[in-house]
Amino acid sequence: MTGNAEIYNAYLAGEKPPNYKTWSGIELKEFYGADDVSQKPETPGEYPFTRGIHRDMYRKRFWTRRQQSGFGAPEESNKRMKFLLKEGQTGLNLNLDVPGELGLDADHPLAEGDIGLVGTSLSTLEDAEQLFQDLPLDKISTTIILAPPSSAILMAMFLLVARKRGIPETDLIGTIMNDSFAQLVGPTLEAVERFFPIDASVRLGIDVMEYCIKHMPKWNILNINAYNMRETGINAIQEGAFSLSLVGDYIQRLLGRGLNIDDFARRIAFFSDMHIDFLEEIAKIRAMRRLWAGMLKERFGANDASCRFKTAIQTSGLQLTAQQPLNNIVRATIQTLAAVLAGTQSIHTTSYDEGYALPTEESHKLSIRIQQIIGYETGVTKTVDPLGGSYAVESLTAKLEQEIVSLMRVIEDKGGFIECFKRGWIDEEVNRARYEYARRLETGEQVVVGVNAFREEGEETKINIFRLPGDMPAKRRKYVRNYKKNRDRVKVKRALDVLLDEAKKGVNLFIPILEAVEARATLGEISDTLRQAENFKIRIG
Amino acid sequence: MKGSGKPRIIMAKFGLDGHSNGIRIVSRWLQDAGFEVIYMGLYNTAEGIIKAAREEDVDIIGCSFLEGAHMFFTKKLVALAARNKLRHVKFAIGGVIPPDDIHKLKKMGIKEVYTPGTPKDVIISGLKALARKDASGVYN
Repeated sequence: MTGNAEIYNAYLAGEKPPNYKTWSGIELKEFYGADDVSQKPETPGEYPFTRGIHRDMYRKRFWTRRQQSGFGAPEESNKRMKFLLKEGQTGLNLNLDVPGELGLDADHPLAEGDIGLVGTSLSTLEDAEQLFQDLPLDKISTTIILAPPSSAILMAMFLLVARKRGIPETDLIGTIMNDSFAQLVGPTLEAVERFFPIDASVRLGIDVMEYCIKHMPKWNILNINAYNMRETGINAIQEGAFSLSLVGDYIQRLLGRGLNIDDFARRIAFFSDMHIDFLEEIAKIRAMRRLWAGMLKERFGANDASCRFKTAIQTSGLQLTAQQPLNNIVRATIQTLAAVLAGTQSIHTTSYDEGYALPTEESHKLSIRIQQIIGYETGVTKTVDPLGGSYAVESLTAKLEQEIVSLMRVIEDKGGFIECFKRGWIDEEVNRARYEYARRLETGEQVVVGVNAFREEGEETKINIFRLPGDMPAKRRKYVRNYKKNRDRVKVKRALDVLLDEAKKGVNLFIPILEAVEARATLGEISDTLRQAENFKIRIG
Repeated sequence: MKGSGKPRIIMAKFGLDGHSNGIRIVSRWLQDAGFEVIYMGLYNTAEGIIKAAREEDVDIIGCSFLEGAHMFFTKKLVALAARNKLRHVKFAIGGVIPPDDIHKLKKMGIKEVYTPGTPKDVIISGLKALARKDASGVYN
């Protein structure tokens, strides 16, 4: 590592950036002028939507404030969601714990150390009822951040909860992630393949999408998790190319089921990352809009409504530091402003204390306040795409577009994203990017305040840190064990047998899953049945 | 094996926490710095790690935690190591660890705890020193 002294000396000689490259390596010119922009002037709300998918954008409606939440037992998460709504959150965004994400019940031996840590512990239909208690599922949109098989099971639970409360499925608003590749902290074989076979996961995701397309007109069927890909350390170009290549693979599969592109494309959304490289990140989202529009129109023959690229944004957790944690408030604010200037549909502002633990109520609230200050005080919401026409931003948008397209071609030539993933090529790219990211911080090529410059030795952290109640995991285990003893076991077995038969036939499994949930089969039991149908065993050592 | 002159370290993650950025990067750093890294990667149990530690005759077991399960699994690991009489093996932990827990981990016998942003050379020199203590200066 470059010593602090060297960096300080360099700054004393005259402060300047250590280089003129964006984080993805694009060399920036001294200045940009009219000659650098070849794109014709565009209008927001019109194809190819570079300047935004609506003509009036935030003048009419702010982005949705959608902080992720979920920890402990379902009732604790329900309480936190209600707290966030009271403080001004306008959309729900929920996470299951890792056992839940992987399709393991709370009483599974492999779950014992991870119950309720980074999401809600949820195993039963009654858990889902608790989780969504009193929340107006037809008035406020819910995002369910899960990959198959759990996405299918929680979607079924969500429908049954709504049905019980008399809300028709046609009125439900929200999004199911359903993306098989990146939910577990990045698209690596190591993380993804050990708990469920990848082909079956993709197929099941498509089953859920097909059901939602046909029965839930207001529901978004797929959320491409570009965020978790990016958080491994890949750059903005890779984030763009990986996620667009992946969505192309999903679209092909949906078309393969005989569905019409314009019946579903407008219900596909992205979950993008917002790093700190302000101009490049804004350009990335603008380029993504243009690329999506072009891809949908030219490759898939879609109509204008399908060509609107919708994305949720979360500000980067990777770029938050454990050192001088209050600095993270500044970083998150800048990233949130970038997300707004980029014209996103919803934002999760990552809390400053996430270098230590999950957010406290206090830090969660602060994230909402950051968004409210940007929305109401700064005035950037009063005109659409205020950076449009900036020589630098337009030029960078075109450059990002061009770089993303080149990388998409490489992926395409190798058979598409899913094929590249299965062959381990994505892993190689991710690992290379991780080392490169670390190297740049290590050498001081990229300065991070408080980490490789302006560090305070012997710094003591004086922030409140979130703690889970210590008896929660044991309570959850006991609850699930008792639950399994006290239900109609014949009914459960019958439903799981039907699911197993159907799964072996290779038909759409959503209804058999829904019926198994209705019969009180748990998340883990349904996942296990699906694994059994694939002759798949969990590999853990 | 030992005697090759290289300090030997297992790098592993416990339970279901899939965050692998840190462990990948630190493993690479250690390799480049002359360690023999036995990369066990994601989804390990205490039993599996201790078994590997015996078979591979390692100096250090390095574990990474980012989801808050560090106290739970470290207790298991330390207890199992004691039962297996792995007295010469040292433990190092990295990841998202709240400050209060660092003291608790050290009391349990964890020699080194590295939180995000710890410089590369601090980690390398710390682990080299840790490996050397029991190998009577074989490593350098």
